[in-house]
Amino acid sequence: MAQGNLLDLTIIEAAAQLERRRLSPVELTEAMLQRIGNVDKQIRAYITVCDEQAREVAGATERMIRAGYYLGPLHGIPVALKDNIYTRGVRTTAGSKILADFIPTEDATVAARLKRAGAIIVGKTNMHEFAWGGTTDNPHHGTCRNPWNPERFPAGSSGGSGAAVAARTCLGALGTDTGGSIRLPSSVNGIVGIRPTIGRVSNYNVVPLAWTMDTVSPMTRTVEDCVVMFEAIAGYDPFDEHSAHAPVADYRAELPRPVRGLRVGLVRDYSLTHVQKAVGDAVRAALKRLEELGAQVEEIAMPSIHGNISAQLTIESCEPSAYHQQWLRTRAADYGEDVRTLLELGEMYLATHYIQAQRYRSLLRKEFLEGFKRVDVFLTPTLPFTATPCGATEVVIEGNRKEDMLSAIMQFTGVPSLAGLPALSLPIGFDPDGLPVGMQVIGRPFDEGTLFRVGHAYQQATDWHTRSPRL
Amino acid sequence: MKSEESVTKETVERLCAQAELALAPERRTRLVPMLAGLIGAANELSRKMAAAAHRSILPILRFPER
Repeated sequence: MAQGNLLDLTIIEAAAQLERRRLSPVELTEAMLQRIGNVDKQIRAYITVCDEQAREVAGATERMIRAGYYLGPLHGIPVALKDNIYTRGVRTTAGSKILADFIPTEDATVAARLKRAGAIIVGKTNMHEFAWGGTTDNPHHGTCRNPWNPERFPAGSSGGSGAAVAARTCLGALGTDTGGSIRLPSSVNGIVGIRPTIGRVSNYNVVPLAWTMDTVSPMTRTVEDCVVMFEAIAGYDPFDEHSAHAPVADYRAELPRPVRGLRVGLVRDYSLTHVQKAVGDAVRAALKRLEELGAQVEEIAMPSIHGNISAQLTIESCEPSAYHQQWLRTRAADYGEDVRTLLELGEMYLATHYIQAQRYRSLLRKEFLEGFKRVDVFLTPTLPFTATPCGATEVVIEGNRKEDMLSAIMQFTGVPSLAGLPALSLPIGFDPDGLPVGMQVIGRPFDEGTLFRVGHAYQQATDWHTRSPRL
Repeated sequence: MKSEESVTKETVERLCAQAELALAPERRTRLVPMLAGLIGAANELSRKMAAAAHRSILPILRFPER
């Protein structure tokens, strides 16, 4: 098969060929490694490329499949992991200088589960330092760039995973999401990413950002691929004390169920408010498409939704500062300037601020659970703007007013993070500059299945996810 | 008093001393306007959460499975 064709294969398509032995895992892995060699100098999606290990595993996988031992749809699939996910024997820097030489002696649970499913890890992806930021402008490992326009940012903090998938250097990747770090890069890179319900996927051996909000999950080009990776990593883990016992459904079996009759909620004065015109237009068009598929749209008031950005900033400031407390006193100069400043600020909140922010989460969750009595999912844009220039610290959303990037970027993704709800981001169009727009679908606790079903139905009716950046 | 006025160089100095966080004077000065903005927003949220209607709400650190 020609290399160009190999790069465009989805996980599902590649798996079908690998199972029938029409495609070799060695050939597929080599195509990805070659692609990384060709484009990664430009986009810097990877901190470490695991070429030697990937080739070795690909060879063993080929022998295994030839011998008749096919493990399932991830067997022989090249994937990448964000560099805050422990990988045994492969350095795990968390995008930092402080952990630049850290080589874990064991895998994160999610890495072990992907390996057990037969996935081949081609590399560890670039990220915002210690996941504390939304740009992936990394002072230690290079500025990651957006494959759709390398002058633009890939968002973050899982920017490397988003760029790696969009650039066709792997078929899927894992990211981590605290306040939006999977969904934001999924949106601006034109791919799919899900934040799971807290407890659904193990955080064991993942470098934390904010303990009460952290999650791990896949980023892929299609919803169906996302389901394949999600099924491999989801489920109870005794090593993670926040891990949930909730049963993991057969999501792939549920995907073909139509969305006719599905009730879709918009939060009044929020879901379509304070967004760039192209973003608002794309979300309205996506809503219309869902209505054509039989969904019913309803507007719901949620009086407490405003306040979410302050709550998120408070929790995301205080918890990382607790984790980094000793390093900030002994190795402050080893942090990048933006992260060092945020960690210093996080030491200066009052305990009452933190507690009130945690109480706000209860209030927000209560209002969402009330809303879910009337609708099945809520929709918002994933972020209110498309990819900004690399290095920008401010963004214009409406008029000429410049806004602080860190606050603006949290406008929509922070809400499900605070309320402990699952949320899927999927591509729904492009702005006039050819930059992707994403939509966020928010679901009930542990109801990732409905999010996948909505996303899959939308992708069956549209072709945004089939477009690829010219690199 | 508004947070913009109440957060000063001295405030940051005092907070650093409390936290045993040694910061150079220029770093402390740099934090003042940023902290004022963050604390202002946090105070606003605190006022909202202190309302009588929200008195029974508990902080959430771990979400229930159902």
